Amino acid sequence: MNAPGTPPAVDPDWLDHVVREVRATTGVEVCVEEESFSGPGGGLERGGVGPPTLDVPADRWVDVIAALAHDLGYRYFDWLSAVDELDQGFAVVCHVAKLGTESPEAQPLRHLLVRTRVPREAPVLRSVTGIYAGAAWHERETHEMFGIDFAGHPNLAPLLLPEEFEGHPLRKDFVLAARAAKPWPGAKEPGESDESGPAARRGRRGSRRRRLAPPGVPAPDEWGPRPPDRGGDDG
Amino acid sequence: MAEVSRDPDVKPELPARSRGVIALFEENCTVCMLCARECPCWCIYIDSHQETRQAEEPGARERRQVVLDRFAIDYSLCMYCGICIEVCPFDALFWSPEFEYAVTDLTELTQERQTLGEWMATVPEPPRLDPAAGDGHA
Repeated sequence: MNAPGTPPAVDPDWLDHVVREVRATTGVEVCVEEESFSGPGGGLERGGVGPPTLDVPADRWVDVIAALAHDLGYRYFDWLSAVDELDQGFAVVCHVAKLGTESPEAQPLRHLLVRTRVPREAPVLRSVTGIYAGAAWHERETHEMFGIDFAGHPNLAPLLLPEEFEGHPLRKDFVLAARAAKPWPGAKEPGESDESGPAARRGRRGSRRRRLAPPGVPAPDEWGPRPPDRGGDDG
Repeated sequence: MAEVSRDPDVKPELPARSRGVIALFEENCTVCMLCARECPCWCIYIDSHQETRQAEEPGARERRQVVLDRFAIDYSLCMYCGICIEVCPFDALFWSPEFEYAVTDLTELTQERQTLGEWMATVPEPPRLDPAAGDGHA
């Protein structure tokens, strides 16, 4: 997005102008980096790394992006993706830019992130393909990876995954098959081998010692889809 | 200006700290399992067994010793992060600049202790200490 090591200097006048213009054009009360959205340090805050973020309500998603593209000159679509924020639903983020003129003093290159949130139970958002045709692939990828529907998309076929693939790999409750199907090589104690047999691996010999679990991989009963009443107890 | 590489006719001169493959210096391995446990790719396989050593002196107790049976790295899974080398407390794992180990079958990328040991010959000497290192510690 930006050259490494050079945090973008956000011009507050420019940002206020964008917010004012979007409000005037659409009537949407957009706000810049709503603090509660992903918590301090969790998002791309003003003064942080990356472009400033406009938070918009999900039902006005297309209106705000259309105003940015058609009225404010943000004609360049960079990317669109999502973040699984668990109980708080999915954040959908779209990166747009307004290209600069030959003399940067007259009109510098401007970057903006537009962000909204859709609920986990009904992850639906209107498609922005009517504004940026190039968003079609990004929405297809976000659809297959997160299970978010984009209403009005011409063809939400999987982009990268095979047709028969089940599940949404970038959801945080998606069980990584490679970690579920294969025994952890680090579970063995010094002096053990696969030939020690399954009984030894279950810990018959070293039953007093608690078997080591692979770091970062939850136990099978606390991983993957689970009943909704247990859904939020792990924060 | 950068020169065009003439590999494989002319072997490239690789930087000293090239991350080609990971070599095993078996004599240093105590089968502590730390590398296999820290590996984020789950690509290090270690088998071992315990042996009982008879006491060498009269009256001394017999000793149990862990003996390495298998040490293999699956390079189809390895992401060359080097955590296994970092974590090894006994300097049994080393970066080697060796890179010509392509195979035609994915399963053949699991390299056993024999090959990992042979790669030790390609491990470069550790870089010399900084000239100023050691000053004031005489």
